[in-house]
Amino acid sequence: MEKKQQVVVIGGGPAGLAAAGQLQSFGLDVVLIEKQAQVGGHLNKWYKVFPDFTPAEEIVAHLKSQLGNTRVLTNTTVTAISGEAPDFSITTSSGEQIPAAAILIATGYKHFDARLKEEYGYGIYDNCITSVELDAMLKENKIRTLQGKIPKKIALAHCVGSRDEKVNNNYCSRVCCTNAVKLAIEIKEQLPESEIYCLYMDIRVFGRTYEELYRTSQEEFGIQFIRGRLSEASEKPDGSLVLRFEDTLTARPMRLSVDLLILMVGMEANTELAEIARLPLGCDRFYATLHGQYANNHSHREGIFLAGTATGPKAIMESITDGRSAAAAILSFLMQKAKGMEVKVPTLV
Amino acid sequence: MGKLIEELKQDIQYQHGMNACLNCGICTAVCPAAEVYDYSPREVMNICHQEDEEALIELLKSDKIWYCGQCFSCTPRCPRGNSAARVILALRRLSIRYGYFAESEKGRQQLFAKRVFGENLLKRGLTLLATNITPQNFPELGEFWEYYFEHMKEMREWWGVPMDLENSPGSHRIIPEKDMEELRAIYKATGALELMEAIEKGMEKKLGSKEEVEKYWQTWLETGDSRNYQLKKEKEEDK
Ligand SMILES: Cc1cc2nc3c(=O)[nH]c(=O)nc-3n(C[C@H](O)[C@H](O)[C@H](O)COP(=O)(O)OP(=O)(O)OC[C@H]3O[C@@H](n4cnc5c(N)ncnc54)[C@H](O)[C@@H]3O)c2cc1C
Ligand code: SF4
Ligand code: SF4
Ligand code: SF4
Repeated sequence: MEKKQQVVVIGGGPAGLAAAGQLQSFGLDVVLIEKQAQVGGHLNKWYKVFPDFTPAEEIVAHLKSQLGNTRVLTNTTVTAISGEAPDFSITTSSGEQIPAAAILIATGYKHFDARLKEEYGYGIYDNCITSVELDAMLKENKIRTLQGKIPKKIALAHCVGSRDEKVNNNYCSRVCCTNAVKLAIEIKEQLPESEIYCLYMDIRVFGRTYEELYRTSQEEFGIQFIRGRLSEASEKPDGSLVLRFEDTLTARPMRLSVDLLILMVGMEANTELAEIARLPLGCDRFYATLHGQYANNHSHREGIFLAGTATGPKAIMESITDGRSAAAAILSFLMQKAKGMEVKVPTLV
Repeated sequence: MGKLIEELKQDIQYQHGMNACLNCGICTAVCPAAEVYDYSPREVMNICHQEDEEALIELLKSDKIWYCGQCFSCTPRCPRGNSAARVILALRRLSIRYGYFAESEKGRQQLFAKRVFGENLLKRGLTLLATNITPQNFPELGEFWEYYFEHMKEMREWWGVPMDLENSPGSHRIIPEKDMEELRAIYKATGALELMEAIEKGMEKKLGSKEEVEKYWQTWLETGDSRNYQLKKEKEEDK
């Protein structure tokens, strides 16, 4: 390459961090734009992550250590993108103009708003919380009901906000089953006396060693898995909850009293830059990729690339791999441009 | 594919109520009928989904499809947008059309629905009249009802909802003949009349004759419980 080219990565979660690290290692100038005060994305909220209980901090620290000369702009977002590849100009919220030969969008996801499943009572009942809130309790080693008691019976409700046309999310969020298994183990470790129930519809533990984690949770931790999706919860005067569901394996409608109900909230698209970047969305409202099989890091616009959960639910390792894969796609794109070659974007047949 | 399944799939209630089922159990968990009967909307969805003619006939002959109270609790929560309540409606129509309803105890009670609600509607445009609720058949309503039953006419005058007065307010008014004609036309066009006839015919076929149907009906009127009528087969078994 003749002149040094600059790449702008938007979003400093695991995908964006991994991509930035890889891009700068190729000798490119990289600017990483992160909206929050800290990079790390959702990892900043997690305690230990599945499948191997690595502390989330360790992952962020590692990815940050790979950033080299990357220029990191925190508390910053993008307000405009003008020009076309390879001469984009990005306007930031602080008013700076940043030239970019290529752009990577790695703006991640949002949590499903559990209040929309009114029948579960999130925001209404004291002891109905989300998996995000549970992680914060685990971090503090302080799992308590709102009344300050140590919960004895705890249920984790799978598929909250996923696989549900009633909230317009037909897709599976992929990580919540394994996350539920992980959380159940962690609860049991912190509260050995507790009884833990996972109310699931299908157990989707898809990754390497995930199945083993599932088995361990049953064999060593005695977690109960009940095949039936939570239908509704109601509150008793003492703040405990009565859950209604069907045990579909014995075909019996059931009631279960619990002290704490944890909703395994799914992922929703964060496509706040869709208009600014002029990018189309898929029917799941995540960014559309150029091709679902062989052009997964390419957007529908030349020179704008996508990585991580911006294009659909992924685990951390997948997001990191996807970020690095996007970095390779960007390098290939820039090399072809620099040579004045026609860019070989994977052509759609 | 079987003929009945084809026909079921033509029913608009079925089309609206049946997508693929996740077998999640949300419907059965909230279904009030599932709590007290051997009934599960999820099971009904599954049987239909199999598209197996024999299994469908089995279902149409069973008590199951009559347990549903049409409360529609199953419908707003289904993550696949199914409605067991609607599927049940389609199944009931099919069961009546082919006479399978008469094979089950709950199904045979359709005669009551037809003769009371159905005929009231055709004659008066109202499903239930206060005069239908006789103290003899509904002793649990107690002496207040008995008093009301006997003084209905004057009491309704006091309340300003007089009986049998054209276009008056209340549940005992006379609906003008012109409107009744429209109502009957709707019942005819939608096939409801045909279903009502099918109930009489289906009962006749099952019980053996029109006289037997009347006996069944009388048993019910007199004892308030259709199970007091013994089917021929049951009678033979008793011997
Ligand atoms: C409840 C839950 C638990 C999970 N637990 C695990 C686990 O144990 N193990 C595991 O492997 N995975 C887990 N995951 C998945 C994991 O969180 C994701 O794989 C990972 O966070 C995705 O990384 P990302 O970079 O794509 O997105 P994110 O983590 O969402 O990062 C996106 C970043 O972009 C920034 N951003 C957004 N918009 C803008 C903008 N307009 N301008 C600038 N910056 C912007 C955000 O501030 C954020 O820093 C879990 C997910 C959930 C929902
Ligand atoms: S990963 Fe499991 S809990 Fe999450 S949406 Fe998929 S099936 Fe439901
Ligand atoms: S709620 Fe819907 S998807 Fe779930 S079992 Fe009932 S019909 Fe099937
Ligand atoms: S409509 Fe019928 S199947 Fe549905 S919940 Fe009510 S009783 Fe159950």
